[in-house]
Amino acid sequence: MKNRIIAFIFAATALALPTLAQTVQLPAPSPIEKELAARASHVTEVTLDKNTLAFASKVMNGNDKDAVATRKLIDGLDGIYVREYEFDKEDQFSMEQIEQLRKYFETSEWSTLVRERDLKSHESTDVMVKLEKGETRGFFILEVEPKELTIVLILGPIRMEDLGKLKGISGLDALGGVEFKTKDKDKKGGDQ
Amino acid sequence: MRRLLIFPVVFAVLLVPVAVLATGDGSFDGVVRSIESRYHVRATRIPFMGLISLVAGKSMQAGVSNMHVAEFENFAWPVDGDELNRMVEEKLGADWKRMIRETSRRGEEQTLIFVHPEGERMGLFVVDLDGHELDMVQVSVNADQLNKQLGQYEHHQNAHRLPDRD
Repeated sequence: MKNRIIAFIFAATALALPTLAQTVQLPAPSPIEKELAARASHVTEVTLDKNTLAFASKVMNGNDKDAVATRKLIDGLDGIYVREYEFDKEDQFSMEQIEQLRKYFETSEWSTLVRERDLKSHESTDVMVKLEKGETRGFFILEVEPKELTIVLILGPIRMEDLGKLKGISGLDALGGVEFKTKDKDKKGGDQ
Repeated sequence: MRRLLIFPVVFAVLLVPVAVLATGDGSFDGVVRSIESRYHVRATRIPFMGLISLVAGKSMQAGVSNMHVAEFENFAWPVDGDELNRMVEEKLGADWKRMIRETSRRGEEQTLIFVHPEGERMGLFVVDLDGHELDMVQVSVNADQLNKQLGQYEHHQNAHRLPDRD
């Protein structure tokens, strides 16, 4: 009997493993995010896992070429994570906190694509790309304005030119600007 | 033979508390009761909601079903977004995942949207506070059916659209 139970546990584990391996987990909020949320006057959090994205792609309307491509793109993604913090006044967060936030998401798999700093306006943009075997598997975008901070994390197979297609999703309006900035960077041929 | 029966019975008995913990205490009604008790407000019940849900389900060919609606009026003080979120999460249980949360520090605006995969369907639970009014909706949506319905509606709309006079 004992052997049967052990065999059952092994079989259940073996069946569960591939599912676990395929699941790309969205990150838990960093401690900095909690500090920002406590000071912000308005916070928007969007967390879409694979199941929700698959559902969203089914509900999306339109049968033209673009709509079908967008549905396919969303269906293939592993997750979308957006955090938007709005503040009543300036100086509610430090550059040190921003750097910590960037480092929390940055791992060896991520490469910087755009790093823009405007010391005069205190605005900055970071775009990082996750590469696996030469293929893009995610984007991390951190946009900072004096009274607003936006974090966007997209996991799964996605190309730079597809970012704009996600603009319609709640909280992802900032992607239009990022697409523009990366195109601009490509034209200039290097980081700004 | 009786010894063999003991295992499934013990397994089922052990499983019951886990299932109860995982699903919360009855989702919609549980959340309504918690809000009523915490904020000292009464939900306006919509009469014949079961019938409305059934009719909506039939007319949308089960694209939308299991509809629940509650409306709370006269919220007298600001709502702590974290507390409201915790309360809803606890009552819904771990099976429901929060998809969207919008919260203002002054507490006058709070939006929570939770989702729950139900096979081909998706359960949606929405809590929306705007000023002194809080609305709560739970609904189960079949994406394929809903999309077909919307597609048909668009088709009819396009068919009846008059050609542009240029």
